[in-house]
Amino acid sequence: MADNQTVGETLASRGISRRTFLKFCATMTSLLALPPGMAEVMAETLARTRRQSVIWLSFQECTGCTESLTRSHSPTLESLLFDAISLDYHHTLQAAAGDAAERARVQAMQDNAGKYLVIVDGSIPLKDGGVYSTIAGHSNLDMLKETAAGAAAIIAVGTCATYGGLPHANPNPTGAVAVSDIIKDKPIVNVPGCPPIATVITGVVAHFLTLGTLPELDSLGRPKVFFGDTIHDRCYRRPFYDQGKFAKTFDDEGARSGWCLYELGCKGPTTHNACATVKWNGGTSFPIESGHPCLGCSEPNFWDAGSFYQALSAKTLPLSAHAGAALAVGAAAGVAVGLVSRAKKKAAARQHTRVSADDLEKGGGA
Amino acid sequence: MSGPELLLWARGTGLQIAVAIFLFGLLARFVELWLLGRKTDLSVARASAVGPGLRTVVSRSLPMPGALKQTPLVFLGGYVFHLGFLATLLFYVPHIHFLRSILGFGWPGLPPFLIDVIGLVTIATLIALLVQRFTDPVRRFLSRADDYVAWTVTFLPLLSGYVAFHRLGTDYTLMLALHILSVELLLIVIPFTKLMHMFTFALARWYNGAIAGRKGVRV
Amino acid sequence: MSGLEHIGVQVVTAPQDGARSYVPALLREIEALLAELVASGRHGRIDLRSLPLLPGDDARLAALLGNGEVDAAIQAMGGTRVRETGVAGVWWVTHANADGETVAEFVEVTLVPEMLKTHPQDARTGLARLRERLAELTHEGETDG
Repeated sequence: MADNQTVGETLASRGISRRTFLKFCATMTSLLALPPGMAEVMAETLARTRRQSVIWLSFQECTGCTESLTRSHSPTLESLLFDAISLDYHHTLQAAAGDAAERARVQAMQDNAGKYLVIVDGSIPLKDGGVYSTIAGHSNLDMLKETAAGAAAIIAVGTCATYGGLPHANPNPTGAVAVSDIIKDKPIVNVPGCPPIATVITGVVAHFLTLGTLPELDSLGRPKVFFGDTIHDRCYRRPFYDQGKFAKTFDDEGARSGWCLYELGCKGPTTHNACATVKWNGGTSFPIESGHPCLGCSEPNFWDAGSFYQALSAKTLPLSAHAGAALAVGAAAGVAVGLVSRAKKKAAARQHTRVSADDLEKGGGA
Repeated sequence: MSGPELLLWARGTGLQIAVAIFLFGLLARFVELWLLGRKTDLSVARASAVGPGLRTVVSRSLPMPGALKQTPLVFLGGYVFHLGFLATLLFYVPHIHFLRSILGFGWPGLPPFLIDVIGLVTIATLIALLVQRFTDPVRRFLSRADDYVAWTVTFLPLLSGYVAFHRLGTDYTLMLALHILSVELLLIVIPFTKLMHMFTFALARWYNGAIAGRKGVRV
Repeated sequence: MSGLEHIGVQVVTAPQDGARSYVPALLREIEALLAELVASGRHGRIDLRSLPLLPGDDARLAALLGNGEVDAAIQAMGGTRVRETGVAGVWWVTHANADGETVAEFVEVTLVPEMLKTHPQDARTGLARLRERLAELTHEGETDG
């Protein structure tokens, strides 16, 4: 339910000191790669602002993105974000249910028209009128369009909302699409990942809350501060890649020595995300550091990009059928052309005129 | 199309199309060649043609005497380019994995920095050969569209590979996609140009050796 | 998280040959910031997490700066340690979450770091709370005797 409290008032009512809030903002500025001096500015600005109304729409998703955010290893520090916002609608986290919840959503939209933030996780199915995912009798498509109409901005969280994700994978039985395929007239930030790193989600929201703008985005709508580099660019195992030292199996000497995982299927070179620097579980580790190749989960169509355990350079679709057909048709074409050429050769031979030495001696002859 | 979409297409459908056209063209050319055949040699064979034929396939890999003095750039450039091209293609680890995904087996690769040096030298050699083709009046006179097309489709994979390897250009994913597409372009062009020599060189050498051998020449 | 610390995990970092330490450049930056502080009173802050430090670089830097007279422990949704280094005016601030993991680390060049100060709003809240306590005590005093 929306309220008119400032963030500072909410903090005071929860017994959270401004010192603690400053610590949260210092952590956020570090994460967002903002100048370190911004921490005080962020703290003062946020404390003065009314709590931002946020409506979280969960569509065709597995709830992993919400889990990533709420199970983040330090629930207390991250949860300060929830003090800085007014989460007016969220299936998993809200207390209300049924009609009361839907009324709360509509109320928040009316009270904060043009100013609320919409966060979406999950893809939107379009097939058969969008019947494959509905909430309170409304299709996801209708709810998205209705809710987005009065939003200030939309943050698509997770690979499903940003690119269609798992439901979109071949053969896409529900006709799943991304948020940006439907909404064309609102600023959209894509925060992909399966799931995204929790602190990345928090950072993007914090950026919007403090600076009132969305962070600088790349050509796929992702914040450059988190998605500007590939995993490969920042991977600590790069020296091994450059030296040609690759682990060949998950248990060999190379794997134990922490060698590059390219041969085991690592998609790091073509995957943009902050895993190699920000890492997971409060900076503990990330897949490569734990010995598993990167899946490429923050890139579009990563589910259809070939096996997770075959190198990035390997082919993704079978060739034998095409090859077989090509050889058969080629042989037939070769026979056809060959027979035509032979016929031409014979015809040319038949048109040869016989010349004798006498004809030639007469000079200027045939 | 975005970088990731293009890369996905190139690794999947693009490769299927390219391999299909390549194999179609190869087989069509070879079957036609076989059907055209050769005139039956009615003379009595003085010796077996097989041994000399096979030996010539190998021996012509070495240059004829005096070649270095006559055409030093083509002589040296030819070897450097061909060996360099094959080395970068067959001994760079990501390429080995691509071939492994098709053949089912792989082999050890060379250190990446070595591949980098070889690649750069191969690119430079190709450019030098093109410059010579252009500046030498005889060669220019003899050159046709087929020659320039063959040069271009051979050059593009090397250049795009170098660009991708060194993370030049805007986005690695796009550069990688373009590299794979340039290889697919090369594949579909091969059967319809003089690049068929990569297969027919063996036939040509065989025939030269076999004809001589049949006549009794000691090869 | 309970239970995780019972799993016998040993972190082994691969040796990084031929990599260059960032510490000398960092010391120069700290020198520049301290000179600025001395000249104009302007404070500066370096975010250690934003730098491509090698494993062991932060320990090397801390050893070079040494320990000073102040070592403050703050409890704010997890521990925060504010320590003046052996170079007066150069402070080391380490923020940890409730599970003890470092979430941010700064070198602050200032006369006193913000984290040590009491925020005016908190002082106002403290005054209100103190007045409540006093009112309670006065009320108790009146009802006694």
